[in-house]
Amino acid sequence: MSEKITISFTINGDKETREAAVGQTLLSFIRDELHLTGTKSGCEIGECGACTVLLNGKPVNSCLVLAVELDGKELVTIEALSKNGKLDKLQQTFIDHAAFQCGYCTPGMIISAKALLERKPNPSDEDINEALSGNLCRCGAYQEIRAAIKDAAKK
Amino acid sequence: MLSYEYIKTGDLQEAFKLLESREHVYPLAGGTDLIVGMRGGKFVPELILDLKDIEEFKVLTEDNKGITIGALVTLNEICQFKPVVDNIPILAEGCHSVGSYMIRNRATIAGNICNASPAADTSAPLYCLDAVVNIIGSGGSRTVPVDEFFNGPGQNALNKGELVQSVTVLKPYPEGKGVYFKASRTGSVDLATVGVAVQSWGDRVKVAVGAVAPTPVRALSVENAVNEYGEKDWSKAAALVNNDISPITDLRGSREYRYHIVEVLVRRGLEQTMGV
Ligand SMILES: Cc1cc2nc3c(=O)[nH]c(=O)nc-3n(C[C@H](O)[C@H](O)[C@H](O)COP(=O)(O)OP(=O)(O)OC[C@H]3O[C@@H](n4cnc5c(N)ncnc54)[C@H](O)[C@@H]3O)c2cc1C
Ligand code: FES
Ligand code: FES
Repeated sequence: MSEKITISFTINGDKETREAAVGQTLLSFIRDELHLTGTKSGCEIGECGACTVLLNGKPVNSCLVLAVELDGKELVTIEALSKNGKLDKLQQTFIDHAAFQCGYCTPGMIISAKALLERKPNPSDEDINEALSGNLCRCGAYQEIRAAIKDAAKK
Repeated sequence: MLSYEYIKTGDLQEAFKLLESREHVYPLAGGTDLIVGMRGGKFVPELILDLKDIEEFKVLTEDNKGITIGALVTLNEICQFKPVVDNIPILAEGCHSVGSYMIRNRATIAGNICNASPAADTSAPLYCLDAVVNIIGSGGSRTVPVDEFFNGPGQNALNKGELVQSVTVLKPYPEGKGVYFKASRTGSVDLATVGVAVQSWGDRVKVAVGAVAPTPVRALSVENAVNEYGEKDWSKAAALVNNDISPITDLRGSREYRYHIVEVLVRRGLEQTMGV
């Protein structure tokens, strides 16, 4: 078993202090220690984007970050989006446009889209393609995903 | 779960000591090569030395020497840095072609060259710009031209105990256009099957190619034909790239395909930078 280090961080707005194993990825820490399973595991080598989270406000592949690197940082996962049972506008427009089939890529897509709308409130197709360049959808819902993001931008 | 020690330090002297304290110490920047490599068993660290508190590695500046990019600056930050966009856009293109938006939020230029893949997308633009690598260790600092930094696949010029501090693109900047073309199997998240950088400097040109030899290489035969012998037939000039490369067959493409596509991309680069 690998060594543990105490880390302090903010998770979806709440301050936390936990032990993290040095051999653990942030993805595994989020799912297995914080028990937030909205963040998905796909390839675990940075290629699919299912594990996307916001680290200090920026979308990153949590499978390519060590859990111990979370120390002193702010983490936002998909669970932060709906508030008091009310969906975030991106979650709602993804439903309105049926922007998924199996839904496995959806948390990562929505996190990347959220970061995009914060950078660029009115994104072009090109901006969307760039922001989602690391989020793959095996079901091929890309058209609907683009439409859902544009729709959310108007709201 | 992987097993190793992890230490983060902001103190350079301590970092040098730690680098020499064990046989297999791996510096950690963005982790996009390192963590994938550990997963696959390519890297088996005893100690991971997280560099991200080292302030000296965070510079991103332009001064009378040129543009200096610290080892911890991410590729997305480079793509947005105005002096890069205005003066050496070919480097922004190379950085932008790496991985995906998310990868570029973590990945650094130092990590890209230290990993020393012949396909490293920032390398061909850096070769064309005559960039230099600033190295620091307990013995002091030294600077090497980027084309002396790559020694072979996965092999760089660092000695034990040394780190890359930054990369500098010296003035004068090129007067003229530069382009970076990447042939890959998918539109994003794939390494280059072939990478071609072409930069005009007035009526002269510099050409560098990646993923077609054990390191990135300058296409000196092409440059010579254009710069010394005045060759204006870009197809003829581009065909000479074959003298400068030794591609292999791998999962991204065959040797023959690489010979073909590199010539096409060099010709296109000459057309777009030197005029048709
Ligand atoms: C999905 C995916 C797609 C990718 N696509 C591309 C691509 O299209 N093109 C491309 O070129 N690369 C690509 N890469 C590779 C990688 O993202 C880049 O090489 C990146 O620039 C590495 O930077 P890093 O900061 O993440 O390096 P790290 O992983 O932190 O480090 C890489 C290596 O350099 C060493 N190192 C890091 N910093 C220093 C330093 N300052 N001094 C000494 N040694 C140091 C590390 O110990 C390690 O051996 C991809 C990777 C992934 C996972
Ligand atoms: S699981 Fe992280 S990118 Fe696929
Ligand atoms: S909806 Fe199935 S992977 Fe995108």
